[in-house]
Amino acid sequence: MRSLRSRLLLALLAALLLTGVAASAATYLQARAEIDRILDYQLRQQALALRDNHFRAGLDPDPEQDVVVQVWDRYGAQLYLSHRRRPLPRLGELGYADVTQDGERWRVYAVSVGSELIQVGQPLSIRQKMAADAALRLLLPVLAALPLFGMIIWWIVGRGLVPLNRLAASIAQRAPSSLSPLPVAGQPSETLPIVGALNDLLARLEAALRRQREFAADAAHELRTPLTAVRLQAQLLERASSVEERESAISALHAGVERAAHLVDRLLLLARLEPEAMTQPFAPVDLAALAARVAQDLQPVAAARAIGLSIRATGQAIVTGDRPALDALLRNLVENAVCYTQAGGRVEIGVDSHGGHARLTVTDNGPGIPAAERERVLDRFYRCAGSPGHGSGLGLAIAGRAATLHGARLELADPSGHRGLCVRVTFPSPRRGDAAPAAETGPGNAVPVAEPGS
Amino acid sequence: MRVLLVEDDQMIGAALQRGLAREGYAVDWVRDGPAADAAAASEPYSVVVLDLGLPGRDGTRVLASMRERRCDTPVIIVTARDGREDRIRGLDLGADDYVVKPFDLDELAARIRAVTRRHAGRSAPRIRHGPLTLDPVARTLTRDGAPVALTAREFELLHTLMQRPRAVYSRQALEERLYGWDDSVGSNAVEVHIHHLRRKLGAAIIENIRGQGYRLGEAA
Repeated sequence: MRSLRSRLLLALLAALLLTGVAASAATYLQARAEIDRILDYQLRQQALALRDNHFRAGLDPDPEQDVVVQVWDRYGAQLYLSHRRRPLPRLGELGYADVTQDGERWRVYAVSVGSELIQVGQPLSIRQKMAADAALRLLLPVLAALPLFGMIIWWIVGRGLVPLNRLAASIAQRAPSSLSPLPVAGQPSETLPIVGALNDLLARLEAALRRQREFAADAAHELRTPLTAVRLQAQLLERASSVEERESAISALHAGVERAAHLVDRLLLLARLEPEAMTQPFAPVDLAALAARVAQDLQPVAAARAIGLSIRATGQAIVTGDRPALDALLRNLVENAVCYTQAGGRVEIGVDSHGGHARLTVTDNGPGIPAAERERVLDRFYRCAGSPGHGSGLGLAIAGRAATLHGARLELADPSGHRGLCVRVTFPSPRRGDAAPAAETGPGNAVPVAEPGS
Repeated sequence: MRVLLVEDDQMIGAALQRGLAREGYAVDWVRDGPAADAAAASEPYSVVVLDLGLPGRDGTRVLASMRERRCDTPVIIVTARDGREDRIRGLDLGADDYVVKPFDLDELAARIRAVTRRHAGRSAPRIRHGPLTLDPVARTLTRDGAPVALTAREFELLHTLMQRPRAVYSRQALEERLYGWDDSVGSNAVEVHIHHLRRKLGAAIIENIRGQGYRLGEAA
């Protein structure tokens, strides 16, 4: 049964019918008691009337009452029987008695007159019929009115469901793009939770959709720059008139395509860091091991710019998270530091645990970021003034997104004791005590990362 | 003609500088707003190609300060922002044209020609002077329909003079219009080009105004 309306209709009609039947049954029982009392009295009156009336021969009881009158003398000889075909046994005792004769139950009253015994009997079925009639008289109107009740219930329930239908219609009529909340005013308290839950969902959808839309717009916008370069470079290649021009145009075009591809990679990475795109459950990740791998991967890049890349790991730092996302976080921070630090500079990856919170730091002695710009550098595509124009503008945005995904806090600070930038990612403390205890083990030694193959 | 290119992107800037140089323009390339301000204030450019997304000082502010200084050099905005509002704002600030990235080198060159033509008060793409017809698009000169071979600098010099037939240019003014920062200019380079033009088009083609400079003369 799918429809609320028909379910309610059937349930209410059944309840009504049950009430009617119960009332009839009660009436029947009550009527039986009443009828017994009255008819017993009549039986007795009849018997007493016979006793007092010596004129027995002309006795003619009411055939409707179906009363059988019998008279016996003191010797037990039957003097009178009103209905020849329905003789009742002669009972020894006087007063009321119940008798079963040929499967039919009778109510009998006996009285003695001198030496004679007068016995008046009446089948109990008459009484049952009278009580049943009374009960039926009550039930029949109820039965007759059931269809009417059904229609009334159908209508009332329909009226009651109008707000629900109106809600459904207002949802159905919405434009597919409309994620504005449903009106709460005028909703009955029963549909309010539905509307509330729907509005919650709509708000979350809207936020997710807005993020996606902004991201797509930003991405398309940002892709225009490398595409412009590639287009111009291709045109220069077409027009190249000498071998040298041609070769320089080809290498410029390669660089342009490389840059566009790099930007697309970053954009994809950023898109995968959306909460909706997370498919793997979080698992414990050892930050020190992660740092070692990232440092090893980026060592050649740092070496090419004569930048010393080192790790300082103190204590154990294990966080629950998504390994690829954490890898992207650290990798982008280190790449960023290596990219913006002058040749001969230093970049240090720090892994430690501070007050129960695992921490990752990437510190460089490069130009740093002015305090005024620190909030904005986490925005997608934001580049600092005067920064080399080749970055995608996404490195810190990717790190920031990955941090948010893990509930971690990403801060930009001044390094202590020298110029540069210190990016600090503080993870929330583990929910269960399965991670290593947060022990402050004091300053460790900065360990230079081994060159690959050395 | 000298073009000021304001573009912070290394690749796009390099490609534009090369591409526009091939079209015969002397291109000065600056990478940020303050440098653009300084260059636009000090040199006589025929057109400014201005990227809006500049670090430090937004391109629209460069444009606004140019117009505040009553500098009426044509400005073509080059930007990745293609919103209607952005276009309207750029044009209202005094830009002469608007090119959205990714654009085509030919399209940009055509727009540069269009705004410089309009700026010189002409609407026809070709410039006529007596029997001479100069076509800035094809970069050709014809006399009575017969082509005259000119070098790129000779063409630019004649183009500059023909754009404003009655204007007098000093030697330095002509140099500034013909050569970008990266070009090395010989001390008598302009005189050499004038000499060649006179040989090809008749001595009267360029008048020498004593003490002031040069002006377009009669074409033979």
